[in-house]
Amino acid sequence: MGAIGASFNRMWAIALNTFREAVRNKVLAILVMFAVALMAFSLVLGQLSLHEEIRIIKDLGLAGISIFGVVIALFLGVNLLSKELERKTVYAIIPKPLHRHEFLLGKYLGLVVTMTALVVLMSVVLWGFLVAQGGHHGVIMVRAEILILLELLLLMAVAMLFSSFSSPWLSAMFAGALWVIGRNTAELEAFAQGKLEDTAGGSLLEVLLDLLPDFRMFFVSGANFDETVVSVHESFVSWAYVGSAAVYAMTYGGMCLVAAVLLFRRRDFV
Amino acid sequence: MTAPVLEVEGLRKEFVRGFLRKRTVAVDGISFAVEPGEVFGFLGPNGAGKTTTMKMLMGLIHPSAGKATILGAEVGDLDAKRRIGYLPENPYFYDYLSATEYLHMVGRIYGLDRATRDKRAAELLGRVGLAMAQGRAMRSYSKGMLQRVGLAQALIGDPELVVLDEPMSGLDPIGRREVRELILDLRAQGKTVFFSTHILADANLLCDRVAIIVKGKLRDVGPLGELLSPKVHRIEVLWQGDEALQAQLREQFPASHSSSSEGQVFVAEAQEQLDRFLAAILAGGGEVSSVTPQRETLEQLFVRDAGLSPEEQRS
Repeated sequence: MGAIGASFNRMWAIALNTFREAVRNKVLAILVMFAVALMAFSLVLGQLSLHEEIRIIKDLGLAGISIFGVVIALFLGVNLLSKELERKTVYAIIPKPLHRHEFLLGKYLGLVVTMTALVVLMSVVLWGFLVAQGGHHGVIMVRAEILILLELLLLMAVAMLFSSFSSPWLSAMFAGALWVIGRNTAELEAFAQGKLEDTAGGSLLEVLLDLLPDFRMFFVSGANFDETVVSVHESFVSWAYVGSAAVYAMTYGGMCLVAAVLLFRRRDFV
Repeated sequence: MTAPVLEVEGLRKEFVRGFLRKRTVAVDGISFAVEPGEVFGFLGPNGAGKTTTMKMLMGLIHPSAGKATILGAEVGDLDAKRRIGYLPENPYFYDYLSATEYLHMVGRIYGLDRATRDKRAAELLGRVGLAMAQGRAMRSYSKGMLQRVGLAQALIGDPELVVLDEPMSGLDPIGRREVRELILDLRAQGKTVFFSTHILADANLLCDRVAIIVKGKLRDVGPLGELLSPKVHRIEVLWQGDEALQAQLREQFPASHSSSSEGQVFVAEAQEQLDRFLAAILAGGGEVSSVTPQRETLEQLFVRDAGLSPEEQRS
């Protein structure tokens, strides 16, 4: 086996452990149940609407995956690494024959596997609800779900960066705040170019918006693309757009992980 | 001559803490070497710098100065790490995993195939007395059971050098005896064991050589027999006699009298004083039950090296 294969095997050992630990966590199971409960509630709301059952199931279903996905991403991204440090489980692992960066990347890989499994699970439940109501899941919904997954993977990389040097609560707050800002880039941009135009504050805000992660990119419903309002019910973004969003998530997430690795390498486990 | 398994030269760690950047020297330029096949004890009171030193050797803490080589390689070298097993102090493992799952994970990191992992995990869990609990989640384990998992995970890679930080911590007397036997077994297999402890009886029973660290500085390194002073430094006399004789001898030899359930105890500081005391007992019609020469114990060496004053030693 080559050096790269051996390195991947070591990371996979950490990833598998992270996945096991995450899926056996009761908090995670409760959050997934809430997401499913929200989808089930969409059936009730659909009955109250006028022939809009499918639209409501789709909207609430995607919102459920997204909102509970964000909570889970923050919980896992911050908690799993911080817990390693707090409970000192990492003390027995770092002296083993693996590099520190392999440990950190292995943890992230485990989170990717966990989050992918959860989004797939919630999407399958949503598909079930749609079919039960005589609706159709379709490729557009798959694209929307992939965009949500990409957003969550990026958010976990950001959370991991913070938790590599900060306490769990602060990390969750910082990552959560970045997500809120990142989801509202369009409004903040309009604010910088409107009320704050030609001011130092406006210029600073625009620079910050360029540097901070653009989570809006992954939540496109209601956005305007080429004079067309995007929605999963009518016209949605193309595969090319999903591809470019994936490249953005990988590039930004990759930079966060590189920074996390650099900070983690310098850290003393006292 | 074979190269040392572990060599430490001028290792130092300085922590900078708080807003005021207060500096604390935890380990102050220590040097020693551990030879192949020996059981080497790293002794010191709590807070002496034992764990910090071990963490520097295991790559958990970056040294401020100095260097260490393990199995001929720099600290952190992957090939060397593959030949080391390490038990941290008060180990804690993943709540949701069972001991078997944890050993499999560690085995994977060591690059062991499935069959070897299965075999070694079963063997080791049996050896540390956890066979009955191997499938249970570790969140239900007691401190002693976690310590046993820690020992098993340290040995899963069949290491040449075993580094144990306070291996007896949290164990009951039976567990401690089992760990002592395990360490002696490892020595019999030709492995090198480097372990820290503040329990002197363990070091006395197990170590070929010891290093004593106090307040971050290395005080002594060598075989216990050489570090302990061979000279008799006091002699204890157990004797019986009537009250008049007791009063007379207390007056004649003012210091170091006490009573025990077996009789009166007198501690002579020199041979000449002992001779006079024994003659006085016999002349007064008393009986001598025993005369025991007292050599320096490891505990006394430890206290001497810790630089404690006689008052502190007594307290």
